[in-house]
Amino acid sequence: MDGLVEIVEFGQAAMAHIDALYGYALALTRNMTEAEDLVQETYLRATSAAHRPDADSNLKSWLFVIMRNAWLNQLRHRNSGPKFVELDTDGPRVDQFQENPHVVYLRKLEREQVQHAIESLPDAYREIIVLRDIEGFTYQEIATVLDCPAGTVMSRLGRARGKLRKLLSTWQDKARVKAV
Amino acid sequence: MQKCEDIRGRLTLYLDNELQGDERGMVEAHLSECESCAAIFARELNFLNAVRESAALHVAPPELRAKVQRILSEGVSGVAGVEERRPRRASRVSWLVAAAAAVLLLLLPLLVWRIVKQSSTPTASSFALMAAETHLRHMRGQLPLETESANPQEISSWFLNKVNFSVKLPNYQESSGQEKLYMLEGARLVFFEKNYTAYVAYRMKERPISLVITSDSVARPSGGEEIQARGLTFHYNAIDGLKVLTWSDRGLTYALVSDLEERGQQSCIVCHEGTKDRDLLEPLKPH
Repeated sequence: MDGLVEIVEFGQAAMAHIDALYGYALALTRNMTEAEDLVQETYLRATSAAHRPDADSNLKSWLFVIMRNAWLNQLRHRNSGPKFVELDTDGPRVDQFQENPHVVYLRKLEREQVQHAIESLPDAYREIIVLRDIEGFTYQEIATVLDCPAGTVMSRLGRARGKLRKLLSTWQDKARVKAV
Repeated sequence: MQKCEDIRGRLTLYLDNELQGDERGMVEAHLSECESCAAIFARELNFLNAVRESAALHVAPPELRAKVQRILSEGVSGVAGVEERRPRRASRVSWLVAAAAAVLLLLLPLLVWRIVKQSSTPTASSFALMAAETHLRHMRGQLPLETESANPQEISSWFLNKVNFSVKLPNYQESSGQEKLYMLEGARLVFFEKNYTAYVAYRMKERPISLVITSDSVARPSGGEEIQARGLTFHYNAIDGLKVLTWSDRGLTYALVSDLEERGQQSCIVCHEGTKDRDLLEPLKPH
């Protein structure tokens, strides 16, 4: 068992990730109350874990793994299985650089539009965008959190970004038609 | 042509910092000499920046923060309790266990105080917490600046029509002729409480300083240690190893974030270096 000092240091280090965990919980649950419950559940599980990572190494991704497992557990109890797996096998991969000529205009889009597009993504795509582009995890860390191979992370991330481009370019086209 | 296809297949990996050494160098060398690949790279970079900049900053509500703090604190007292609850054995180590438990219990208040004091201060306002998180994210490269300039007037102009208040940045060094201790780097917008707030980045001796500004109708400073200086009330918090000062003045609320020593008053030098402002800086110095 860890000593008291180690536990205190662990508590300090774990507390530093509360905002990131809350953001991830919101991405998973889309509900503030559920997100707060999930954050508490994550810290409860973390404090009772027998083996903890070093405070300055992979603590953040370890906490994310705990949160995701807690969330999947909650979904199972609701008899609605997680919807995270089927998206990697469908359809050809979007050509990420060539398909959307309008992508060059993205910088001009309102932030709300981009946020709204991210919110509109399927769960698995939104989740991987949050992990990579918002939280800045590496592919390997994401693979650990999602419990999947790093290759799956790459392909899912490519599809998620492709879908996001498509959403944004479609909305932009509509806005342009309205303007005309 | 084959080379271009090969490079374009690696651009995402390059942008996600997943390439190392020779592979990274190969992509960079190719981009420096191939205009069409460089154009595709720029488009992709713009897209990723748009996604990353759109990120809403989620700050855990103070109530949640307090609950989690309790969970972590109870973990500490739980350990002490385990030591205490161990059955007494007529063994040679029983006195050692008892002594260890006693020491742990004696240390407990101090250690819990350390958690409360040194980790995210539970009483910090959500604005102070957001400012600290924004500072950290900017340092990690997740919140790139939207405009880069060392000219305060240019930065002030950039905020026109982007935020619903006037951002007037000080130009103290120019007006006082003092040695240039800090550099204005640029600015961007950040989202807080359904409003855009102004984020301004400075650098002093290679260390970043962040200034976040919003209307006082959106955020009011609260919590932390209160310091009175020149008719203003400053709220000082230590959040995740950062020094955060928040205060309101003439309709605006400010948060100044740095990892500088001495309670962050050094970062006030950004606006107030010079002998005439000693009355403002002195109260902010450590007791």
